[in-house]
Amino acid sequence: MSTTTTTSPTGSRPLPGLLPEHKKRITPKRPHDYLCWAAAIAVVAGLVYTTVTNENYQWPVVFSYFTTRSILDGLLLTLVLTVVSMGLGTLLGLLLAIMRMSHQPPISGLAGLYITFFRGTPVLVQLIFWFNIAALYPNVSLGIPFTDISTPVDVNALMTPLTAAIVGLTLNEAAYMAEIIRGGFASVSRGQYEAADSLGMSGFTRLRHVIIPQTMPAIIPATGNQVIGMLKGTSLVSVLGVAELLNSAQSIYARTYQTIPLLIVASLWYLIMTLALSVPQSMIERRFSRSTRRQAAVATATKESLL
Amino acid sequence: MKADGTIVARKLCKSFGSHQVLREIDLTVSAGEISCIIGPSGSGKSTLLRCVNGLETVDRGVLRVNGEDFGYVEKDNAYHAVRPQRLTEQRARIGMVFQQFNLFPNMTAESNVMSGPVLVKKTDRRTARERAQELLAQVGLSGCGHKYPAQLSGGQQQRVAIARALAMDPSIMLFDEPTSALDPELVGEVLGVMRDLAHNGMTMLLVTHEMGFARDVADEVLFMDDGIAVERGDAREVLANPKEKRTQEFLERVL
Ligand SMILES: Nc1ncnc2c1ncn2[C@@H]1O[C@H](COP(=O)(O)OP(=O)(O)O)[C@@H](O)[C@H]1O
Ligand SMILES: [Mg+2]
Repeated sequence: MSTTTTTSPTGSRPLPGLLPEHKKRITPKRPHDYLCWAAAIAVVAGLVYTTVTNENYQWPVVFSYFTTRSILDGLLLTLVLTVVSMGLGTLLGLLLAIMRMSHQPPISGLAGLYITFFRGTPVLVQLIFWFNIAALYPNVSLGIPFTDISTPVDVNALMTPLTAAIVGLTLNEAAYMAEIIRGGFASVSRGQYEAADSLGMSGFTRLRHVIIPQTMPAIIPATGNQVIGMLKGTSLVSVLGVAELLNSAQSIYARTYQTIPLLIVASLWYLIMTLALSVPQSMIERRFSRSTRRQAAVATATKESLL
Repeated sequence: MKADGTIVARKLCKSFGSHQVLREIDLTVSAGEISCIIGPSGSGKSTLLRCVNGLETVDRGVLRVNGEDFGYVEKDNAYHAVRPQRLTEQRARIGMVFQQFNLFPNMTAESNVMSGPVLVKKTDRRTARERAQELLAQVGLSGCGHKYPAQLSGGQQQRVAIARALAMDPSIMLFDEPTSALDPELVGEVLGVMRDLAHNGMTMLLVTHEMGFARDVADEVLFMDDGIAVERGDAREVLANPKEKRTQEFLERVL
């Protein structure tokens, strides 16, 4: 019919301007898009309004205590507890993971029992339990079997609040780290072991250069999450009287009765620290993310230096 | 240390639990010979191949690779397992290529090829890298050394895997369905590399469904079914005029 160039493919009407294949596709904004924004803004505005106008927040008190000596000391202890418990927990977790993967049923069974027990009971209960362990074993004697060499140990004196805190957090963390590490090893296919074997690699070389680098994309992001969890989890040891961040805040408001402002102080510090950790964490996560080209992630994460 | 490139199996038996996967298999591959194992899925082809480099242990029978008992030493009416270190030495002289390539994803192509010499033979890195570049060129991949396996196509990955196995200077190469995981248009490039190897006198034992390749390149064909070596003989003879009924039926199905 029409000999002009712009006819729609359906051949109905001639169209002015753009060819149909060049036209933009537009999704109009719908009322509920605006509604969502309005609702969110209303909620935030309400929260801001009440935090500013409600005198009971006592913001001046918050600011005056934010960097007091005892709060900063508590903060430091929180960080120390996190690092120590996380470090020891990871080492013990590695040992447990290796035991769990053992081909000897008694060994893997033992590790399984440990993991089930420590993951199946609340950390808070475990912490209180360790603090009171002397009720169960008042005296133990450390010694070399079949000799006379031994020293009695007074468990009550040994199990200070800080020791109980570290022991409790470490033992609990180890159970979780064991599962994470085991998961990392499970993510390496059998073919990788076989390829290493077929080249004549020894068990150690195979582990060091082939297997461990490939477990990292599964282990590192999960461990990052554990660190953040541990940082917040240390607040539980306040019940044992360890003067970490929360306990330091509690000690102050026990005297001054400014409960809310001091809890805000503690919360803000926890928030700052978890945010500070979540930046590297999300970078790590993006790099290791399983869905998007796992192999490339392995490669960039663990540059093998045969070169 | 002998490495004459021969494989001899006599009455080889292997079971997984109560399931007997290899039933008294006989096999002889002379130096420089190309031997193909064919047969339906689940017939024990991979298991036989994996026994030859110790990825599976043999239950009973004789297995001599490179002129010596593999993985065991014969003493006082019994075979005694060798030390792990001895086993890795024996393995290092046998190259293996897998269906799923199994390249190390944490290493570049070049590092994959260097991994055997550097980590096992303790060759110095410079020599190992030069050799790796030679081998990559040999499989048609010069210039791809810096790439990671994830950046290579299946065919390229399999050729890197072949180069990696060759880097150990093996006297025998084993291939377990090296082209089965590849898109059809990539099969040719891998078979081409294998053909070159065959012409250069490498002893090769391979499981394959590429009957054309078997006919062109193989000296011997072994047809396996249900753990039994049903028929063995000259490749072109077996493929063209199979004597056994089961071989005939199988070939009719695949050709
Ligand atoms: N590790 C194993 N454990 C138990 N059974 C196995 C194992 N490997 C192989 N099999 C069994 O042995 C038989 C032969 O397997 P395989 O050698 O892989 O056959 P093919 O390579 O000819 O397809 C199959 O029935 C398979 O299920
Ligand atoms: Mg198979």
